[in-house]
Amino acid sequence: MSSNPLEQFVIKPIVPLQLAGYDVSFTQSALFMVVAIVAATALMTLSVRPKAMVPGRWQNVSEMFYEFISGMVSDNLGHEGKKYFPFVFSIFMIVLMGNLIGLIPYAFTFTSHIIVTFALAATVFVLATLVGIFRHGLHFFSLFLPAGLPWYLMPLIVVIELVSYMSRPVSLSVRLFANMMAGHTMLKVFAGFSVMLGVYLGVLPMLLNVALLGLETMIAFIQAYVFAVLTCVYLKDAIELH
Amino acid sequence: MTQTPEDLGQKIKAARERAGEIPGPVSDTPPADNQGSAMGQGMRVATDLAAALAVSGFLGYMADKWLGTKPWIMLAMIIVGFAAGILNAYRAQMGKDFQVGFKKPDNDKNDNGNEGNK
Repeated sequence: MSSNPLEQFVIKPIVPLQLAGYDVSFTQSALFMVVAIVAATALMTLSVRPKAMVPGRWQNVSEMFYEFISGMVSDNLGHEGKKYFPFVFSIFMIVLMGNLIGLIPYAFTFTSHIIVTFALAATVFVLATLVGIFRHGLHFFSLFLPAGLPWYLMPLIVVIELVSYMSRPVSLSVRLFANMMAGHTMLKVFAGFSVMLGVYLGVLPMLLNVALLGLETMIAFIQAYVFAVLTCVYLKDAIELH
Repeated sequence: MTQTPEDLGQKIKAARERAGEIPGPVSDTPPADNQGSAMGQGMRVATDLAAALAVSGFLGYMADKWLGTKPWIMLAMIIVGFAAGILNAYRAQMGKDFQVGFKKPDNDKNDNGNEGNK
């Protein structure tokens, strides 16, 4: 077993497939994406089967997630933002399940790859921009042109605002990717210490790993929450242009 | 527990406000992005700065390749990216929720149709 802490992020194909010269193998990352989606769907559909007025445990969890995201969407986007609730909820559940399932030993955290988080963030960015453009037409670009500026500052400010707008999906994706990758690398490093120190002294890094797993669980929730909140904020910026 | 018709009326009014049928006072509490440990906030600022630098550097590099003026546009864009990164981090810390643009919200109470966005 390798003790290289970064070796856990290597993508290994499970079912090698080729399509027109491109490698579209079913990798362990894809496998855990499927697992995360199945888990999220099962949580939301199977748990509300009893349809009890006083919810049992699983139904309570399902309702908690729903109300949490519903409250967040209506707080940020108002009443007419409800149409974006399915999208925000899907993003939140995918990121949350991806983060949490990766904490199981021998499982793979697909959100620890920048390409996955960038795909999610790019989806949010493109959606928010298209929503803004379809809603406001070309007036959408007044987002970058603030009022009340002297004319000689305007070009510079527009460029700065444009860069700031376009750096948002990058920072959104890098935040999630960096947190997940750093967390799992730390877990592997301390586990490596345990192996190196032997049976007796090796208990100390193991205890640290126990605490670190708790911290990683909290970070999994927080990062999913931050991702969803910023999705709402970007949608709100596009809808309300401020 | 007895409920007077007034209590029921209050509850119905509150539920209708929540559903948005009656415009109630809009809560402009920013999403709590400023909570969390100091290390989390530090990482947020750092990723904002790094992301803005990366985006602007990439844009400048592409512009240089297109116009052939290496490396001046890229250098200028990196300076712009630094400013944009600081702007993003500042807005995030001030709780302005990554707002783009200087406009204040047009309306804080959506009762007189001054939204101008419909």
